[in-house]
Amino acid sequence: MKKAILYINQFFAGIGGEDKADHAPEIREGLVGPAMALDGALKNAVVTHTIICGDNFMGSREDEAVEKIMEFLSDKEFDIFFAGPAFQAGRYGNACGVICKAVKERFGVPVISSMHEENPGVDMFKKEVVIFPGGKSAAAMRKDTKKVAAYGDKILAGEKLGNAQEEGYYIRGIRHQVIDKTMEPASKRAMAMLLNKLSGQEYTTELPIPKVERVPIAAPIKEMASAKIAFVTSGGIVPADNPDRIQSASATRWGMYDISAEARLEGNGVYKTIHAGYDPAAADADPNVCVPLDALRAYEKEGRIGSIDSHFYTTVGTGTTEAEAARMAQEMIVHLKEHNVDGIILTST
Amino acid sequence: MKLELGNFHVKDARFGEKTYFEDGILTINKEEAIAYVMEDEHITSADIIIARPGEAKRIVPVKEAIEPRCRVSGGPVFPGVTGGIETCGNGRTHALKNTSVLAVGKHWGSFGDGLIDMSGKGADYTYFSQLINICLVADTDEEFERYEQQKKNKAIRWGAMRLSEYLGSAVKDMEPQDIETYELEPVSKKSPEVAKLPSVVYVMQPQSQMEEQGYNDLVYGWDANRMVPTFMHPNEILDGAMISGSFMPCSSKWSTYDFMNNPTIKELYGNHGKTVNFLGVIMSNLNVAMEQKERAAMFVANMAKNLGADGAILAEEGYGNPDADFIACYRALEDIGVKTVGMTNECTGRDGQSQPLVTLDEKANAIVSCGNVSQLVELPPMDEVIGELAALGRDGLSGGWDGDEKLGPSVREDGSVIMENNSMFCGDQVSGWSRKTMKEF
Repeated sequence: MKKAILYINQFFAGIGGEDKADHAPEIREGLVGPAMALDGALKNAVVTHTIICGDNFMGSREDEAVEKIMEFLSDKEFDIFFAGPAFQAGRYGNACGVICKAVKERFGVPVISSMHEENPGVDMFKKEVVIFPGGKSAAAMRKDTKKVAAYGDKILAGEKLGNAQEEGYYIRGIRHQVIDKTMEPASKRAMAMLLNKLSGQEYTTELPIPKVERVPIAAPIKEMASAKIAFVTSGGIVPADNPDRIQSASATRWGMYDISAEARLEGNGVYKTIHAGYDPAAADADPNVCVPLDALRAYEKEGRIGSIDSHFYTTVGTGTTEAEAARMAQEMIVHLKEHNVDGIILTST
Repeated sequence: MKLELGNFHVKDARFGEKTYFEDGILTINKEEAIAYVMEDEHITSADIIIARPGEAKRIVPVKEAIEPRCRVSGGPVFPGVTGGIETCGNGRTHALKNTSVLAVGKHWGSFGDGLIDMSGKGADYTYFSQLINICLVADTDEEFERYEQQKKNKAIRWGAMRLSEYLGSAVKDMEPQDIETYELEPVSKKSPEVAKLPSVVYVMQPQSQMEEQGYNDLVYGWDANRMVPTFMHPNEILDGAMISGSFMPCSSKWSTYDFMNNPTIKELYGNHGKTVNFLGVIMSNLNVAMEQKERAAMFVANMAKNLGADGAILAEEGYGNPDADFIACYRALEDIGVKTVGMTNECTGRDGQSQPLVTLDEKANAIVSCGNVSQLVELPPMDEVIGELAALGRDGLSGGWDGDEKLGPSVREDGSVIMENNSMFCGDQVSGWSRKTMKEF
């Protein structure tokens, strides 16, 4: 029989309400509170331990709480981890999300929770944690527990898992293609959708537009004359032998190259573009059209900027996913900070 | 305009003494066909290989697919491309159904080329696994692009068009097994019953991202990059006015076969006079500069408005940069009150977590989604490879690679492959065949 561990808060452990919300994390062998319902509903696992933590403790001393709980778990054998249900309780939802995410990252086991749709924990953690829609209050305990147990049983049995809609958990912005030969072809789906849209009837888009994450615009540079400026490009400009083997499309690699001795980026076998998403002729002939080092050197000479970073940073943007791009940027930022760069000119294609 | 497409249903294709069609069998005089193709001096070697559905064959690098046809009046099947300019979409064209002529590199692949498996799991990823494919496997003297990742592939693409005309001519004087008739009245001459239905246009955004000529889709032989959106009769598209290009990652591509058989046009025709008043096609493009994108969107919206469109189906041949055209056009149409449904694929990454389109707008609230270009696909070896399997990893195909830290090379020693959906030949079928969609996991 596989083993499961459940996380709950001080209230559902029967320790107390708001006055006990500072309760420090503890682990108990066996079943406490909701663990009984979960253990009863699970067919393919037994709940061996219950972890209890006060909502305030988790909210105000998160690092300490997570560290302690990781310590509790480090010598336990378990195949799956549950938290909650947290219903509409916001702090409890946050706690369930925090701990599920940490357990998943540290131990690599499936993590499942349940929350009411208005619980802020849903939006905060649905990407990392499978969260099932739950009731507003503890009256839904049995029903909510059944849902998470059924999905947990399916995972533990190694059954083929359906998509978010089929399984019933909150959608997470993780989209994969599905081939279904019984489905109407796209032409008929489009026609049906158009007729519904024209007549004001309901239809379901196959690509719900997610909310766009925006990066706040940085404060302006006060003294341009003393600022150090760096080039970062997704235009695929590299030394002609492409030493870091950056891919021409769907890039996962990037490079940084020393230009401290260069007045401009020479074409003709010195620098070139390996980007497969645009006509390379102009950038191969003169890489400065993509990374305008020549123009910036002129600014440097004229004293309009302080200096140019010793390196430029480069990858390929075509087909490169947002997630990979963000990771590569995080890796570049380490060097940009080390080089005390004040501003970046980000060039694309 | 009235187009009659006379169909000859091919049950099998084989080689024989002469080229003719009888009892569902297309017999090809291989020598004569190859000699016809090799009249183009740029083709240095050519072979014809037949691949049937269910056979353990893998075809790569595939550059183009064309339905074998002939224009009964004697003109070129592809006006402005394989012959002089003349209006198409009117009169009789004969087609060898259930077959396509594929342009296959004997060795060399390029960014926009794709792969077709004729059986097994791989056959789920492209429409062309269901057809009897007459593969023109050729090499050319186009040395200027031999080692380029982007290739125009002109000689072999034109060779395949000419081969399709050669095969099609076998049924020129025969009586078709059935005839599909496509007739659409001029916009201002609809009957009152039709005119009272909601008026709709089909907005097509064919690929035109390359500044240099030779890579983009062609409209009557004219580079789609060099035009502003224009109004076309749907019959023109069904009858050879549009030629596919040689640039876009393959799963997003619309082959010439896809244009000739566009399922969305046929669907709109099927609904014309019943649920909608189909006005026609607005042929746009997918240029790279922002101003060009905005200009095209403006032209499309103005044209739709002045045609009196209530609704539109909008489809893009591409992803990434072209998503900006798709969304700009979608927004422009919605802003003037044209209720729009979009057709596209997505690029959500191998983990499915990336933003599906490069740019988004809440106005794009009705989309049919046809696949994820970056989905990883692993396929077992096939008994026979038509073309050269190494091309997938070696020649910079959009969904292949020569090495990867985690995944190893795309092409393995045992002949199995791991690749991105990107290189499935016309795999996302945004022109309308797609029985794929995207789901949340």
